[in-house]
Amino acid sequence: MDAVFTKCERCGQPIYEKDLGARFNVCPHCEFHYPLSAPARLRLLLDRGSFEERDSGLLAGDPLGFDGYEERLKKARRRTGLDDAVVSGVGDLGGRRVAIAVMDFRFIGGSMGSVVGEKVARTIEHAYAEELPLLIVSASGGARMFEGVYSLMQLAKTSVALSRYVEGSWPYISVLTDPTFGGVTASFATAADVVIAEPGARIGFAGARVIEQTTRERLPEGFQTAEFQRDHGMVDRIVHRLALRGDIERLLGFVA
Amino acid sequence: MILEFERPIKELEERISGLHRLAGGSEGLQVEISRLEEALDAAKRRVYSNLSPYQRVQVARHPDRPNFRAYRDALTEDFYELSGDRLFGEDAAVRGGFARLKPELGGHPIVLIGHDKGADVKARVAGNFGMAHPEGYRKVGRFYELAVRFGLPIVLLVDTPGAFAGRQAEERGQAWAISADLMALSRAPVPVVSFVIGEGGSGGALAMCLADYVGMLENSYLSVIAPESCASIIFRDPGRAAEAAEALKLTARDLKDHGIVDEVLPEPLGGAHNEPEDAIDTVGDALGRVVSGLSEADPETLVAARHDRYRRIGERAMQDGTA
Ligand SMILES: [Zn+2]
Repeated sequence: MDAVFTKCERCGQPIYEKDLGARFNVCPHCEFHYPLSAPARLRLLLDRGSFEERDSGLLAGDPLGFDGYEERLKKARRRTGLDDAVVSGVGDLGGRRVAIAVMDFRFIGGSMGSVVGEKVARTIEHAYAEELPLLIVSASGGARMFEGVYSLMQLAKTSVALSRYVEGSWPYISVLTDPTFGGVTASFATAADVVIAEPGARIGFAGARVIEQTTRERLPEGFQTAEFQRDHGMVDRIVHRLALRGDIERLLGFVA
Repeated sequence: MILEFERPIKELEERISGLHRLAGGSEGLQVEISRLEEALDAAKRRVYSNLSPYQRVQVARHPDRPNFRAYRDALTEDFYELSGDRLFGEDAAVRGGFARLKPELGGHPIVLIGHDKGADVKARVAGNFGMAHPEGYRKVGRFYELAVRFGLPIVLLVDTPGAFAGRQAEERGQAWAISADLMALSRAPVPVVSFVIGEGGSGGALAMCLADYVGMLENSYLSVIAPESCASIIFRDPGRAAEAAEALKLTARDLKDHGIVDEVLPEPLGGAHNEPEDAIDTVGDALGRVVSGLSEADPETLVAARHDRYRRIGERAMQDGTA
């Protein structure tokens, strides 16, 4: 089982899965960034053993009785071992304490329902109460349709929480990873002091397919990539995943 | 435009006006007319008291439904329109400026902002059917700032299928524009009053209804996604939009029951498009009452209450394992 080869979807080169894991899912040949689970992301960013999870045990209800939602939740919980699409808490980054929330795309496409909104809001409040820098890593297809307007209200919930935090002088750093769309970009993920994105990550409001269907426009090469968003003035920096921790550490040196 | 389920009503209406045209006014004719009028009343009651969620969505989208301009003209005076986001351009999908509520509604000066779907085809196209680009949302953000600067209540009229999904909207940061508006409303130390008068499509609607008071006309809707899109994704069939509309719990009544909005404003029988003045009066009464009530409030208390409202909204959507 440990000498498993896989083929890079991007460059076609064979990769040892072990090597891919050691490089936090970045292809050693073409540097393509594959999705990264929340637990692996926390290992990537935080000092070893420093993460203290908070607010675990919050579980989504099924507020609308939406057909099929319970099953999807159960399946996602089983498959990921997570309660929902975000893991949050506090930890040290380069010896500096931060409040952190990391989204996990594997959990129903990283969609934002009540639990994601609540945990993000609580993370913001921990940062506020404990005077910590705030770090949120997003990966989300958008709002969680199965929760209907409750999912829409998470944009409001996270915004009111954030509006208090930004009255203080602690920094909020948002990291956008592939993909980040919809309700998450239209709320907390873009309302940061500094917005960092991973190379090649697709970031936007509406998905490219929706835009093509509704407007019949041909979309340019590289549309909605991190590089596109930086060139349009929407993202501050594009940072390679393996350099991310050091990059944020440098930034915190200025603002925390 | 006649909606499919309105057809029996329209047929009765046509027969009645046909008989009226016959004139003469024989007693037999009068009897027939009053019989049909009773049938019409019954038909309206039957159809309109049993609208399915998707039928309400269709009513909310009706082109004859009173729009921003109708409310503006009927409920305010001296509308002093302002334009532009100071960054890129002017977006006619949303309009706003200073206005004064009519004297009978209290006469308060306000900042009035609304999605403008337009009353005719030309205006509808010019306003992109109420779907704003980022410059529209940034213009709205400017108006929020002006309201705060001059201590004026913000009055919002929501009527949009959603923020526009297009190449240029993405190039200019649609998501960034919306999140900035949400942040601005979250901390604006002035009363924020919002009415959903027609369509409340997702983030593009929320950017104008994070408020101290949200009232919804009976046949308006507020949803995270259009029922057609939801049906395409969940059922892989946009034709099953009626089922999706049912599942999404997007009607005014549903949202009131779920504690998301404050008030359902009843529409006249036959919907706002049949009796626009009635619907506008209902919104006007609520508007005058709410603005008068909130104008006395202490600004910091308002912001704190708004924070708590949205911070706690939808608590029952979770099972708290830590509680
Ligand atoms: Zn590769």
